[in-house]
Amino acid sequence: MSKKLEEEFVKQLEENQNIVHKICRLYTNDQDAHNDLFQEVTIQLWRAYPKFRGDAKFSTWMYRVALNTAITLYRKSTRRVKTQDYDSVQFKIADRPEDDEQMEQLTLLYGAVKQLNDIEKALVFLYLEDKNYREIAETMGISEVNARVKMNRIKTKLTNIINP
Amino acid sequence: MDQLDILKQSWQSQTGNAPQFSKEQLGGLLARKSSSIVKWLFIIAIIEFALFIVLGLISHFTNEENNTIEMIGEPFYYGSMIVHYVVIVFFIFLFYKNYKNISTSQPTRSLMNKILKTRRTMKWYIWYNLVYMMVVGMIGAVIIIPNDPRISQMLNSPNFIGHETAFYATFLGLTFVIFLILCVVMYLIYMVIYGILLRKLKRNYNELKRMEV
Repeated sequence: MSKKLEEEFVKQLEENQNIVHKICRLYTNDQDAHNDLFQEVTIQLWRAYPKFRGDAKFSTWMYRVALNTAITLYRKSTRRVKTQDYDSVQFKIADRPEDDEQMEQLTLLYGAVKQLNDIEKALVFLYLEDKNYREIAETMGISEVNARVKMNRIKTKLTNIINP
Repeated sequence: MDQLDILKQSWQSQTGNAPQFSKEQLGGLLARKSSSIVKWLFIIAIIEFALFIVLGLISHFTNEENNTIEMIGEPFYYGSMIVHYVVIVFFIFLFYKNYKNISTSQPTRSLMNKILKTRRTMKWYIWYNLVYMMVVGMIGAVIIIPNDPRISQMLNSPNFIGHETAFYATFLGLTFVIFLILCVVMYLIYMVIYGILLRKLKRNYNELKRMEV
């Protein structure tokens, strides 16, 4: 593949790498596994890139390939975290809110999300990325109604994990 | 307010522990080798294709040495062989078609479906080979028995006279049992290899399927 294509791809990947990092953080529990999955996602993105037509946004296309890699192609099955494993929860934000209690609440919620199964995580991820139900349904290959129903169930499940 | 919406507010600004990669580092990643299950499915498929083709060739050379071809008769021997290789080529074509359709840019569910489809193709390939070996082996045995001088000599010995039917039945029964054991062993190996490889994918596929009910 041409050098120009490679440069173009790397530039777009660099700009959007945070998406991949967020997915890796959600699906793995330590730094080694994170980098491992990141590498596989990068390889899969690069492999699919020549067919990426640009009729979708790079980031939208990236969601699909990266989630597919994490859910479908990646071989290693990572153990699910329990809420106690705070080290692996790793929810950090740039501007730390004044309120410690709110930060604790966020960490707790993120920990609960990490306890979900692979598919539920994908739905939550897309939801948090502010995708609408049509996009979520299209990415996963399910109907919009079912995506909505499932999302409501996940919300209930998360509430139950946080307040047992 | 919704629990998840609280998280959504801070979601975009999360940083995590991972350092951001530079362009050079990302470029370096492109050259790495993939370890995805699709790559493993491909490797396993090549091994499966090769295994049965090599087995077929070995049995051909052994048959040549033992005059089996003459005893079975060339039309049946070469006829079944041609059919066999045509079917194998067909399987290779099917596999290639399935494999080409696996693209990470498609919706998750159809991607999973396509991967499972290539696995099914390989399952049928193995079953086809086992059934072919069994059927041709049994028919071959039936044809060979009256023509093989060693067997007729044995049947003419005093111990066997009057027990020809029992001899035929035992001979064919044993062949059948050996093939059956072979099938079971192959099936178990198959289950283990693909079980390990596709456990996670199947679990996720079922989860998606459950949502659609």
